[in-house]
Amino acid sequence: MLELRDITAGYDPAAPVVRHATLALAPGESVGLLGPSGCGKSTLARVAALLHRPDAGTVTLDGTPVRGWRHRAPHAQRTAIGVVFQQPRLSADPRLRLSDLIAEPLRATRRRDEIPERLAELTPAVGLTPDLLDRRPHEVSDGQLQRACLARALVLRPRWLVCDEMTAMLDASTTAALVAAVEDYRAATGAGLLAVGHDHVLLHRWCARTLHWSDLITTQDPEPVWLPAEVGLQ
Amino acid sequence: MTDDAVTENETVLSVRGLSVRFLMPGGRRIAAVTDAHFDVAAGECLALIGESGCGKSVLASALLGLLPANARTAGEARLGDLDLLAADERTLARTVRGRLIGLVPQSPAAHLTPVRTVRSHLRETVAALTGTRGRAALRAAVEAAAARAAFPADHLDRHPHQLSGGLAQRAATALALVGDAPLLLADEPTTGLDRDLVDHTVDELRRHVDTGRRSLLVITHDLAAAERIADRVAVMYAGRIVELADAKAFFGTPGPRHPYSRGLLQALPDRAFAPIPGMPPELGSLPEGCAFAPRCDRATDACTALPPLADGIACHHPRLPEDLRA
Amino acid sequence: MTCEPVTTAEPAWRSHGTERRSTRAVRVRVCVVLVAATVLAVLLVPPLVRLDQQAVDLSAKLLPPSWSHPFGTDDLGRDLLLRCVYGLRVSLLVGVAAALTATVIGTAVGATAGALGGWADRALMRVVDTFSSVPHLLMGIFIVAVFRPGVWPVIVSVALTHWLSTARIVRAEVLSLRARPYIDAAVSGGASRWRVTVRHLLPAVLPQAALAAVLMVPHAMWHESALSFLGLGLPTHLASLGNLIQAARGPLLAGQWWPTLFPGLFIIVPTLAVAGLAGAWRERINPRRRSELML
Repeated sequence: MLELRDITAGYDPAAPVVRHATLALAPGESVGLLGPSGCGKSTLARVAALLHRPDAGTVTLDGTPVRGWRHRAPHAQRTAIGVVFQQPRLSADPRLRLSDLIAEPLRATRRRDEIPERLAELTPAVGLTPDLLDRRPHEVSDGQLQRACLARALVLRPRWLVCDEMTAMLDASTTAALVAAVEDYRAATGAGLLAVGHDHVLLHRWCARTLHWSDLITTQDPEPVWLPAEVGLQ
Repeated sequence: MTDDAVTENETVLSVRGLSVRFLMPGGRRIAAVTDAHFDVAAGECLALIGESGCGKSVLASALLGLLPANARTAGEARLGDLDLLAADERTLARTVRGRLIGLVPQSPAAHLTPVRTVRSHLRETVAALTGTRGRAALRAAVEAAAARAAFPADHLDRHPHQLSGGLAQRAATALALVGDAPLLLADEPTTGLDRDLVDHTVDELRRHVDTGRRSLLVITHDLAAAERIADRVAVMYAGRIVELADAKAFFGTPGPRHPYSRGLLQALPDRAFAPIPGMPPELGSLPEGCAFAPRCDRATDACTALPPLADGIACHHPRLPEDLRA
Repeated sequence: MTCEPVTTAEPAWRSHGTERRSTRAVRVRVCVVLVAATVLAVLLVPPLVRLDQQAVDLSAKLLPPSWSHPFGTDDLGRDLLLRCVYGLRVSLLVGVAAALTATVIGTAVGATAGALGGWADRALMRVVDTFSSVPHLLMGIFIVAVFRPGVWPVIVSVALTHWLSTARIVRAEVLSLRARPYIDAAVSGGASRWRVTVRHLLPAVLPQAALAAVLMVPHAMWHESALSFLGLGLPTHLASLGNLIQAARGPLLAGQWWPTLFPGLFIIVPTLAVAGLAGAWRERINPRRRSELML
């Protein structure tokens, strides 16, 4: 289970971008989250990926409540979720060769010995060719770089994937190839997926269940009218 | 707006044998665009589609004279009497950009100066391109320019960050329309926009073509947007135009004839959602013959020779109507 | 505008835009030659040229430039060319050592503040503010006054007063980098704070820090001369460029320009050349610039 309950989050506590959002994913489930740009769905995706601490609300990952975000989250929780972002150029350290980019999480978690094996598996799985692995990000196209970013997200074999507008910058063929790579991985491992985007045709085709942003909001008003009575009861 | 309907569609832009090479350190040459031929007529919209990195943005930059210093071009691109590729920087700056070609940019919010209002952007452009002088005349001209792109007059005093994506797009379109240029060039106008906003943007651009006097060249990888806006489609692969077709036939029946175009359409999520196997070749080391052959299920020995673009298609084994019936 | 014929026969290739590359290449080459000349002079002249820079010849006081003394002589009849080369040695040693020390301190503080954020950031930046609120020279004098005069107190004094701007630059750069998705991706991949800082943040700010260090060298050289002027810096018998210019003030008022001009040029020319090289190096090392090919 990946469960986000009553999440309020943002960059300025006075004006949160996400207010009272609730979302639950069953193990292995794929959920597409639709919403207009700027609605806060990327922020919610970062909360779900344990990269952004919410101002209020709880996140439960496979039965364990999440108590810390970013570096404060335990390794096991952080690495249980793989993330892919919208813009491959900004998501790749410009100094790393693609092979180092993909292997970076293995190095960070001291599993260097697995690098050759995982690289050999993932390179064809995401549709890269071995000659591209020696290049740096500025020497490959956006599509190729996004394939490498997907491989990086898969390298630790996460139980969950969060894809935030993964294909918004890409052409139709690369989009289909990346989605196929994600689905192959999910079929093999039973990982769950939260795909965030604005293309309803794509998300309907890709995910078993799609939700609209407005479906997540438990209470439209931050101070519902019945709240005083409810407080009185406690 | 005057509406003297042009019945016979005269050619606005005529591109013949346009090629662009980048000279790289170490003597490497990158064939970004090779031997492109196409025309755009008044009142017509041509969509140039293809994967990112296929050279379509380079083609746009070549038309605007915005190539970097290590680029070399060949061929010609005639806009009226002027060859855009042979024009010097002075001509391009004074008579081409804004006056003969209006550019609708990729990300309008980044295209506008953040510290200036839309009105101040428009005023500067109106004064520079139409020579309007005097406070009252300028004010009226600015409001007329905004109205042409359906930009609401009460939002003119806002700064770019106070505009929604749709309004920012309209502001950018208003700027592109000021010079009353015969050719509008839209470079990926819908990247990153929501589907509704894409439809909206595309419909508005279309409206400016439907007056019959302008022509529109849209460069995009968004096939749905291209289907909505285009009269004709040019498909680019590895720097070459491989198919040039009527948009209705291309997106509907009988469908595309080039195997690459077919693959591209079949990759759409509302069609087969199946990727084309493999990846596009490097523009620095293109294979001999047809560049698509390594990824093509119809490839034969004939494909080691370069297919010429004939009858709107560059392929040795195009799909024929009888294939489709089968 | 256009130049250089392209060697392919087939279509007639045209070039576009101004060739800024070539003028940049020339600039870089000039800088390389100047820096190389400086380094060679400083390293080779003292061991190879067996002349005593301290040789006093009161019969040759304040001679204008000539064939036997290309830069003229000073008020004690010492050859100024030789004095300048020796002075450059001392000044460069002080300048480079102080700039390097200041950059290491500044980068460490700035990166720590930026990477940790929160109260650590606030505390470190308050320290920076406190140091900044005291005039450089005053603090420099204080530090030098604690030690006996010599080369090392001057280096320490200049370094301890010059790391502040580097710390600010590095912190700002780290803060902007920290918001990039690739840092998010690293965190998600299980990277520790230390690893994120050392593997992803520091390599990205090093070109900036190195540039700041190079640009600090002239500043440090001038600071050394200011301390020397006050009698708190280098001992006067050491021919630093600062000492030379300071000693030349009297002759300058009498219209004897060469004791001021040549040491001045010895400060300006090498430091401009080094700064020019640093700029070119930064353009090269920054991969974002190279991706501007629209491919």
